[in-house]
Amino acid sequence: MSDTKGTDVPVESKDNQDKGNQDEKRVGVFVCECGVNIGGVVDTHAVADYIATLPGVKATSVNKFTCSDSGQADIQQKIKEHNLNRVVVAACSPKTHEPTFRACIEQMGLNQYFLEFVNIRDHCSWIHMWEKDKATEKSKDLVRMGVERSKLLEPLEASEVPVTDTALVVGGGVAGMQASLDLADMGFKVYLVEKEPSIGGRMARFDKVFPTNDCSICILGPKMVEVVRNKNIMIMSYSEVKEVDGYVGNFNVKIEHKPRYLDTSKCTGCAKCSEVCPVEVPYDFNEGFGTRKAIYVPFPQAVPLRAVLDKENCINCKACARACESKAIDYDMQTTYTDLNAGIIIGAVGFKTYDPEPGHDFGYGLYDNVITAMEFERLLNAAGPTGGHVIRPSDCREPIRVGFVNCVGSRDKNTNIYCSGVCCMYTIKNAQLLKEKRPETDHTIMYIDIRTPFRSYEESYNRARNLGVKFLRGRPVEVKENPENKNIMVRVEDTLANEIRNLEFDLLVLSTGVVPHDGIHKLQQLLKLSKAADGFLMEAHPKLRPVDTTIDGVYLAGVASGPKDIPYAVSQGSACAGRATILLKNRKAITEGITAVVDPDVCAGCGVCVPMCPFQAIKMDEEAGKANVVKALCKGCGTCVTACPTGALEQSHFKNDQVLAQVKNVFRFQEAAV
Amino acid sequence: MQKGEMFLGWSTKEDIRKRGGSGGLVTSVLAAALDKKLVDSVVVLKKINDFEAVPVITSDVNEVLNSAGSLHSVPSNFAKLIANKNLKVALPAKGCDVRGIIEQGKRNTIKLDNTFIIGLNCGGSMHPTVTREMLEVMYKIRPEDVHGEEIEKGKLIFETKDGKEHAITIDELEEKGYGRRESCRYCTIKIPNNADLACGNWGVTGELAGKATFVEVNSEKGAELLQNAVDAGYVQIQKPDEKGIAARARIKGAMEGLSRKWKEKVFIPMDNRLEYFRKELENCIDCGACKTVCPTCSCGDVSKCTEFHYRGDAYKMSMYHLVRFLHLADSCIGCGQCTDVCPVDIPLTRLYRRFANPVQEELKYEPGMDLRRPPYFEVKLND
Amino acid sequence: MSAEAWEPKIVAFCCNWCSYGGADSAGMGRFQQPPSTRIIRVMCSGRIDPLHVFNAFLEGADAVLVTGCHIGDCHYVNGNDKTKIKYKFLESVVRELGIEKERLQLNWISASEGEKFASFIRDVTEQIKKLGPSPLKPEGVS
Repeated sequence: MSDTKGTDVPVESKDNQDKGNQDEKRVGVFVCECGVNIGGVVDTHAVADYIATLPGVKATSVNKFTCSDSGQADIQQKIKEHNLNRVVVAACSPKTHEPTFRACIEQMGLNQYFLEFVNIRDHCSWIHMWEKDKATEKSKDLVRMGVERSKLLEPLEASEVPVTDTALVVGGGVAGMQASLDLADMGFKVYLVEKEPSIGGRMARFDKVFPTNDCSICILGPKMVEVVRNKNIMIMSYSEVKEVDGYVGNFNVKIEHKPRYLDTSKCTGCAKCSEVCPVEVPYDFNEGFGTRKAIYVPFPQAVPLRAVLDKENCINCKACARACESKAIDYDMQTTYTDLNAGIIIGAVGFKTYDPEPGHDFGYGLYDNVITAMEFERLLNAAGPTGGHVIRPSDCREPIRVGFVNCVGSRDKNTNIYCSGVCCMYTIKNAQLLKEKRPETDHTIMYIDIRTPFRSYEESYNRARNLGVKFLRGRPVEVKENPENKNIMVRVEDTLANEIRNLEFDLLVLSTGVVPHDGIHKLQQLLKLSKAADGFLMEAHPKLRPVDTTIDGVYLAGVASGPKDIPYAVSQGSACAGRATILLKNRKAITEGITAVVDPDVCAGCGVCVPMCPFQAIKMDEEAGKANVVKALCKGCGTCVTACPTGALEQSHFKNDQVLAQVKNVFRFQEAAV
Repeated sequence: MQKGEMFLGWSTKEDIRKRGGSGGLVTSVLAAALDKKLVDSVVVLKKINDFEAVPVITSDVNEVLNSAGSLHSVPSNFAKLIANKNLKVALPAKGCDVRGIIEQGKRNTIKLDNTFIIGLNCGGSMHPTVTREMLEVMYKIRPEDVHGEEIEKGKLIFETKDGKEHAITIDELEEKGYGRRESCRYCTIKIPNNADLACGNWGVTGELAGKATFVEVNSEKGAELLQNAVDAGYVQIQKPDEKGIAARARIKGAMEGLSRKWKEKVFIPMDNRLEYFRKELENCIDCGACKTVCPTCSCGDVSKCTEFHYRGDAYKMSMYHLVRFLHLADSCIGCGQCTDVCPVDIPLTRLYRRFANPVQEELKYEPGMDLRRPPYFEVKLND
Repeated sequence: MSAEAWEPKIVAFCCNWCSYGGADSAGMGRFQQPPSTRIIRVMCSGRIDPLHVFNAFLEGADAVLVTGCHIGDCHYVNGNDKTKIKYKFLESVVRELGIEKERLQLNWISASEGEKFASFIRDVTEQIKKLGPSPLKPEGVS
C-alpha cells in the first residue's frame, strides 16, 4: 500500500505497440439523438457541452442518427481531425450497434476495443420520458462514466484457432439430414449420430404432411437413401454422444454405439429373424398400437436397413440366429465407443409430443376413445398397425363422429404457455384425410385460434371447411365417457355463438403440442448451451442469429431451438450447414477477444480459480506455481477474476480499474450541497 | 499404531526429560524425525531469555535437542514461517498454527503431505510485551530475574532465579487486562485434533504427572511420526489409563466452556456498528502488517485488498479493511496475529471475528480444521 | 433539499446477457422508472466483485443492485451460482457493518423481463427514498 497513488486514474504501465495506448488519451464523444427517441427527451447539446469540459475530451458531436452513414463519417472525420484515440458513442444499446461502431473506428486504424458504448436511449430517454431535466443530468453521468472508462481501455486482438474440416451432426431427423447432406455436398466429412436404430426422426412416423398432404415417407425415404449413399456422410445410428471436450475447430467427441446384437455388415435387413421371433411387444414407432418382435427392422424404409435385437425382451431362444442366412446375429455384442474430432457441431435433436396421460388431460388415459393426434396419425397410415383404418380402441369400430381438441399441452399456463405452431395445421390435415377416406364421417375441431401463417396453409384450412369439417371456437370444459357405449361426451362453450354445447363423439383426438426431448437436455449439458424458459435450447439471437449458439462452432437446427414445421426445420438444417461452412472452409475461427489474463508476477498460485471455470480454461502450471488461461477455451465471463484474491487474474476489457472508473464516475462532488 | 490411538510417552534421554516439559516427548519426536530422515527440517524455538523465544527452521539434530522446553509467551504463528519454502518439515504447533498451516495447504503454499504437524494442547498464549508489563505490575518482579514459568490449577506461576515461586490466578490477571491474548480466551481449539499428533500434559496422572506427555494419533502421518521416534529409540510409550483419558476430556470440556463464555462476553450484539468500526479503524496507518502476518492469507505483496485502497480517498471506511473483512469472513481462524502486530493497537482480530462469526456459523465452516474448500471459492453451495 | 425532491443514486451491476437486456427491454417497452439508477455492464454477474460493490458504497451509492440471469439460465453455465455465493458474503459483511438491507439487493432478471426490471428499480428507489442517503456516502457527493 502506498499513499502516493492518489485518487487519480492509474497510468498505463505496460509497453504497448499500439500507438493509441502510448499517447495521451484523446477522447471523442458522439451523442446520438436517435431522431426524437433520445433528442425528444434528453438535451443532447447540454450533454455534449458538459462532456466537452471533461479532461481528455477533444471533440464532441451531436448527430441526428450517429449510426447513419453521415454519423459514422462524422466520427471518422473527427478521429482524423483531432487525432482521437478513444471514441465514446452515447446512443442506443451496445447490443444493437456496438459492432457497427467498432467497425467504424477500426477502419480508421483504431483498435475496435477503443470504443465505449453508452446507452442513453433504452436506459435513459425511453424510461424517463416525462422527466426531461433529470434525464439530461443522468445522461451526463452516464457519458462521463463512459468517458473515464474509455481512457482505460486497452487494445485487444481476437486470436485465431485452426478448424478441423469435419462436422458432427447430432440427430438424424429431417433437419439433421438436410444439414448433413448440404455439408457433405460441399465436400466436408460428416458424422451423423442418431440414437434410434434408423434415421428419419419424427417425420418418418407421419402419414401425410401438411399443407400439400403428400405422403411423408414417400418424400422422406429418398432423402434418407441420399444420406446413406453419400460417401462423405458416416451414419452412426443407435449411437449417442457421450462426451464433448475441446472448443471451436477442435471438438473431441466420444460416441457410444449401443449393441444391435447383430453384425450390420452381414445383416441384409431381410427380416427373416423377425418372422421367426416368438416375442411380441408394443411398438413405440406406432405409438404403442400394434406390436413388433424382439428382433425387428424398425420400419420398411429404415436407414440403415438393418435389424436390431431388443435384448430386454429377448427370451434367448436363438430362433433368429437359426433363421439368419448371413449368420449376422451376435448375442455377445458389447457397447463400443468411437472417439472423433470435429470442427463444428450441429445439434438437431428433436422433440416428443406432449404426454397427456399423467394429468389425464381431457380424459386421456381414463377413457379408451380419447387418443392423441400422433396415435391417430399411425392409425391413418397405410403402413400402420391397422393398415390405414382409423378405429376406436374400445371396440375397433370405425368412428363416425370425431372430435379434435387443439392446444393440448400448448398455450396453457398449466402446461406450456408457448404455441407449438404445428397443431392447427396437422389437425386440419388429419380431419381432411379421414373425411376424404370416409366421407360419411363428421369432424369437429375445437380450437382457441386457428393459425395458418405460411404458403398454402390458409388454403388448406379453407379446403377442410369446404369438405365439411366443422370448426368450433372453444375449449372443452368437461369430457366424460358414456359407460355403456364408450362414446365421449364433451361439454364446450362455443365462444362465437356464445352458447354451451354438449357434443357426443365416437372418438376424441387430442392435438398434443411439441415438447423438448430428453436429448435436448443432454445436449445442453454436453455443450454447455443455454436453455430458454420453454425448455428448448437458446439461439445466439432470436432474430439475427437464429441457428448460432453462444458457443462458437455449435449450431442448432429444427425443433432443438423450439417448435417448427418441416419446411422451417429443413431450412434451418441448410442454414446451419451454411453457417458452419464459413468455419469449415476458412479452416480457422476467430475466438473471443475478451478473456481472462494472468499476471504471473502477482499470481500466488493458490489455484482457487481453477474450479471456477466451467470451460476448463484455467490450468495450473505446477512447475511455476502459477495459473494459466487457455485463451481458446476462455469465454470471458470473468468469474475466475472475481474469485482471485490477489488480483493477478484480470478480465480484459472489464479490468477492475475499468469497472471502477465507471463506479467512481457515477457520482459528482459538489462543493456546497444544498 | 493407527489413527485414533492414545499413548503416554516420554523421552529416553535423561537430560531432555529434565529440560523439556512433560517428559520431553515432543522434542524427541522432532529430533527422531530429523535423524531418521523422515523430514529435512524441523521448526524449533530459539530462546531469547527464559520466557521469550523465536521460531527457527533447523536441520541440526542437536539444535533440536537443545531447544527442549515450553513457553507461553511465544504467540507467533508458524504457518507463514514454513510457507512457500517447499520443505519436508516436522514442527510443533498450537491449534491456531495447525489451522494456519492447513489453510496455507489449501492455497498451495505448503504441501501438507510433506508436513508433519505435532499439535500442542493450548489454553492460550501471552503477548511478550504484555507479559513484561505484567511481571512488573502484578508480580513485582523484574523480567530479567525470571527463570521459568508454568501454569498449574488456574494459576500462572513464575520462578525467579532465587528459586522462589510467584503465583497469581489467571482470572485475576485477565480481569486486570493481563494474561492470555484476547483471541486465546475465546478460542475453542484446545486439543488440536486437526494436527497429525495432539500432545499435552492433560490426562497424565499419578506418578507420571509432569514426567510424560499424553499423545493422541490423529492421522496416518501422525502414526508414522510417533512410530519413527519409538523405533529410533528416542521415546518410550505406554497406553494411558481410563482415568487419564477421562481427565483429559474433562479439562478440554471445561476449557471450551470457558471459551464460549468469553466469546459471548467479547462479542456482545451492538447497534451503531458502522460507527464502532469506523472508530476502531480511525488510527489505521495502512502499514499492512496485519495482512503480512495473517496465516490464512497466501497473497503476495500485491492483492485485492491493497491495490484498490488509496490513502487519498475520502471514504468513510477503508477499502483495504472491507476487502479483508470479506476475504477472511470464511477463513479467519481467530489466531490474534493481526492484533498482536498492529502498531496502533487496533483490536483487529475482534473486528475480523465480528464478520467471520456469522458467516462461519451459517455455513458450518471451520477454517483450518479439515481440508474443506473455503465456501467463498465454491462453485455452488448446498442449500 | 427536501426528502421529496431528493433522488437517490443507485448503482446497478448488470450482466451482459440477461439483466442488461432486461433493462433494454424496459426501455423498449417504455416502462417508466425514476432516474435514480446508473447501470454498469459486466459480461457475467459472476464478474461483479464485492470490491466493486464496496467501492460503489464508499463513493456514495445509496444502494447497489447485483443482477444477473435466472439460476439455470447463465450464459456461462453457472456464473450466477458463483454470484450467489459472493453475494452471500457481501450481504453478510454489509449487514454486519450496520447498513440497511434495502441498500444491497440481488435480483435475477431475464432479457425479456423489462417490466420486472422497471418495477424493481421503482421499488428500490421508493425504499431508499424512505431511508435517506447512505451512511457511507462521503460529504458533498451527489
